[in-house]
Amino acid sequence: MSFPILSLLILTPIIGALTLSLSSSAQLKNKTIFLSGLWITTGEFLLSLLLPIFYDKTKNGYQFIEYHTWFDKFDINYYVGVDGVSIPLILLTTFLVPICLLCSLNSIQNRAKEFVIYFLLLESFIIGVFVSIDLVIFYVFFEAVLIPMFLIIGIWGGENRLYATFKFFLYTLAGSVLMLLAIIYIISKVKSGNIELISDFTFDQQIELILFLCFFASFAVKVPMFPFHTWLPDAHVQAPTSGSVILAGVLLKLGAYGFIRLSLPFFEYASIYFQPMIFALSCVAIVYTSIVALRQIDMKKMIAYSSVAHMGFVTIGIFTLTQDGINGAYFQMISHGIVSAALFLIVGVVYERHHTRMISDYSGVTNVMPKYSFFFMIFMLSSVGLPGTSGFVGEFLVIMSTISVSVYLTFFTAIGVILGASYMLLLYKNVNFGDLKTDIKQLADLSNIEIFYFSCLAFLTMLLGIYPKLLFEMINKSISMSIL
Amino acid sequence: MINFYQFFPEIFILALILITLCFGLFYKDRSIAINTIGFFILTLILINFGKDFYISTNLSLNTINLFVLSKIILSIGSIVFILLSKRPLKNENLYRYEYILFILFAILGSFVLISSDNFLTAFIGLELQSLSLYLMAAFNTKNLKSNEAGIKYFSLGALSSGFLLFGISMIYYDIGSFYMQNLNNFTTISEIGLSLVLISLFFKVSAAPFHIWTPDVYEGSPTISTLFFASLPKFASLIFLFRVYQELNISGIQSLNYIFQIVCAISLLVGVYGAITQKVIKRLLAFSSINHIGFMLLGIMSYQLMSEGTLFFYLIIYLITTFGIFAVLLNLRTVEGEFTKISQLNGLRFTSNSKSISMLVFFFSLAGIPPFAGFFAKFFILSASITDGFFFLSIVAVLSSVIAAFYYLTIIKNMFFNKSEIELLDDNNKIGKAIFVSFGLIITLFFFYPDPLINLVDNLFK
Repeated sequence: MSFPILSLLILTPIIGALTLSLSSSAQLKNKTIFLSGLWITTGEFLLSLLLPIFYDKTKNGYQFIEYHTWFDKFDINYYVGVDGVSIPLILLTTFLVPICLLCSLNSIQNRAKEFVIYFLLLESFIIGVFVSIDLVIFYVFFEAVLIPMFLIIGIWGGENRLYATFKFFLYTLAGSVLMLLAIIYIISKVKSGNIELISDFTFDQQIELILFLCFFASFAVKVPMFPFHTWLPDAHVQAPTSGSVILAGVLLKLGAYGFIRLSLPFFEYASIYFQPMIFALSCVAIVYTSIVALRQIDMKKMIAYSSVAHMGFVTIGIFTLTQDGINGAYFQMISHGIVSAALFLIVGVVYERHHTRMISDYSGVTNVMPKYSFFFMIFMLSSVGLPGTSGFVGEFLVIMSTISVSVYLTFFTAIGVILGASYMLLLYKNVNFGDLKTDIKQLADLSNIEIFYFSCLAFLTMLLGIYPKLLFEMINKSISMSIL
Repeated sequence: MINFYQFFPEIFILALILITLCFGLFYKDRSIAINTIGFFILTLILINFGKDFYISTNLSLNTINLFVLSKIILSIGSIVFILLSKRPLKNENLYRYEYILFILFAILGSFVLISSDNFLTAFIGLELQSLSLYLMAAFNTKNLKSNEAGIKYFSLGALSSGFLLFGISMIYYDIGSFYMQNLNNFTTISEIGLSLVLISLFFKVSAAPFHIWTPDVYEGSPTISTLFFASLPKFASLIFLFRVYQELNISGIQSLNYIFQIVCAISLLVGVYGAITQKVIKRLLAFSSINHIGFMLLGIMSYQLMSEGTLFFYLIIYLITTFGIFAVLLNLRTVEGEFTKISQLNGLRFTSNSKSISMLVFFFSLAGIPPFAGFFAKFFILSASITDGFFFLSIVAVLSSVIAAFYYLTIIKNMFFNKSEIELLDDNNKIGKAIFVSFGLIITLFFFYPDPLINLVDNLFK
């Protein structure tokens, strides 16, 4: 196909941001700015819907490929294409960004133009990560994501936002620079940044282990895995609702995507060698962060810790190195992208009305906000992994695939599910049931806009839970390629 | 018979100096215009006929390219600097015509230094350059700090010149020649001599641990002079250092090689650790430049793979960013005078779009965050160094740039997140604004269209 759809996907938000930034801000009202942002991102979403429609599921390898020489002298090329692994994540991104803008319609009052511009840039950088098949351009986009995110948390965040945003930026950067060195080394050996060519290249075993650890440092911070996860609760708690949504929904997936797209095909030997370490770290992540989540008094922090636990399932699934495991992990990624985004929106709704995130400040919300409690229940149950929701499929497949590795692993993973159910139910009970507090009485129920985006998210959750084949059809072939 | 044709660029600048000396006395305001036009003509001549000047010499094509490219960069840099200097000098009541003469002498010294084949000529070039710099540091005679900066710079610079002369004489004692192409088969004495020469050059480019003068001189001097110290003379000294490294084949001499590597590692680390706690922006930029010198030394050591292209590319990007940052700083004034403290940047986002966004671009570029050009500069240096096997230094370099990101982010934080505390006077300098906006665009758009800059560097080294 000669139509440059991927470049268009990357460029549309950038062009939108440019036009917005060139328009004089004095005359524009906040609402107009948000509406124009919404038009751009919705157009982007519709554009990205072309990908699954025209994608040929029967073929191997990348499609919609575009190739331009970029740095001729250094053999670095602008080389983009998508396969089954990247398309669902692109759709998730383009789907979540309009929702982020919708949910900030009332909460972001100052510097609205900048806000929309940063979100548009963020969107195009994230899509850039998912479509690039050249290592250098992958790294460029992977790092560039930090800039708008740094500004979003820093400008519109909570009271402790500086600490959170610096920690987020520096943690991620420190991980990434090691990957940069590894990328440079790989390119100097293979003489090309092309991901397909590098997959065919075999490194010395010792060197492969070091290279794997360099990539691991970057992705483990992004995922985040157990000892590197401490930036996440801070960033989530301090970020504005929309920031948390995009952070939990898409940015955490960059790490897992990196594992599937780069680590596994590049370093087959090292992936098997480091399997026990990753399982151990993930088990600790699942059990430890679940227990930590149980003790949280801040709703956002609790959901942030639950994200770490859920991403633990993803890393375990990926490193079982079986088709089922990776399928399950991937499904969990998408499902977590929808559900945790929705949960952060849920917290955002009450925070916007009551200006507190403490669980103890809420009680009996269901009496005044029945629609809210209804949607809360759907996403809570999906996060717990109730059959029929998207959360179930991923967790089930991951747990099933761990049996082939070790029963102990299955045991710890399953404990994570139980703990997950206990803290989510506890959160739901404390917020929604119980006596109605007096200062909660005047809270208004969901507005039409909120009902609209919550129904979209709930619909997706149910759809994926009832008909998971929709996603598996897309990813099966590409994932089987990456574990060969 | 001396072929004067090869000295054409230097003679051209000398002519400019004479013209400025004569006419500047009577028509002070014209000297800037005359010199801008002069350097413009010189740039055009160098671009079109640069290589012809050196064809009669027996230099290798690579060296000729090096001369021509660095002279082109220097003369373009001079144009930008001269255009930029008028308004800040007027603001500080320093607008005297000597200043432009100092610039010209320093540039002349840099030209001589770059193309000198002989250690004595290099010494003359270096001294011509340095003496002008001392005067520029102390140019604000009514300001104590400026005087202090001038004296510090002069006394330490004189010391380092002493090292240079002593080193040269030791080499001469041992080998009996000043010419770089005759220097080989080093014995211990000439190695010590050469190490003294290197120390003096390290001092000039302010590589750690010979950097102690940098923060004080940067802080005390008038900001416009600081910009000059940070950019063009440093560029020329680095090119000469590169030539010494390459032509004397220092990578083959174990002991000197160690000195180079240690200085590189220390510069990388001292630069970042010094900068973290700074409150004054010029001190911060001084330390940050030390960190960047570390990267450039890494580029000098690992030039074999992709020729000089990587080093040159880094230098060009560094010059553009430095000019851009200082153009913004020179455009900002407080009620008390020159802009000094980082905290005075607070809330710049609300007062000026173009300045804050250009600063954001420049500082992210210095930190090496893609998609800005600074990332690619570092990327190419690291590619070269990893291919050449400098793994340890590469790791130090990237980790130092993570720490460096912290203080660059602090500046961005001040501009974007904090509310302003004091009122900044907008200088409304059109030339300055044009310079920082266009340089910011170059840094950003490089990602989308890298060919012109890459080809410029590449073609000259074919």
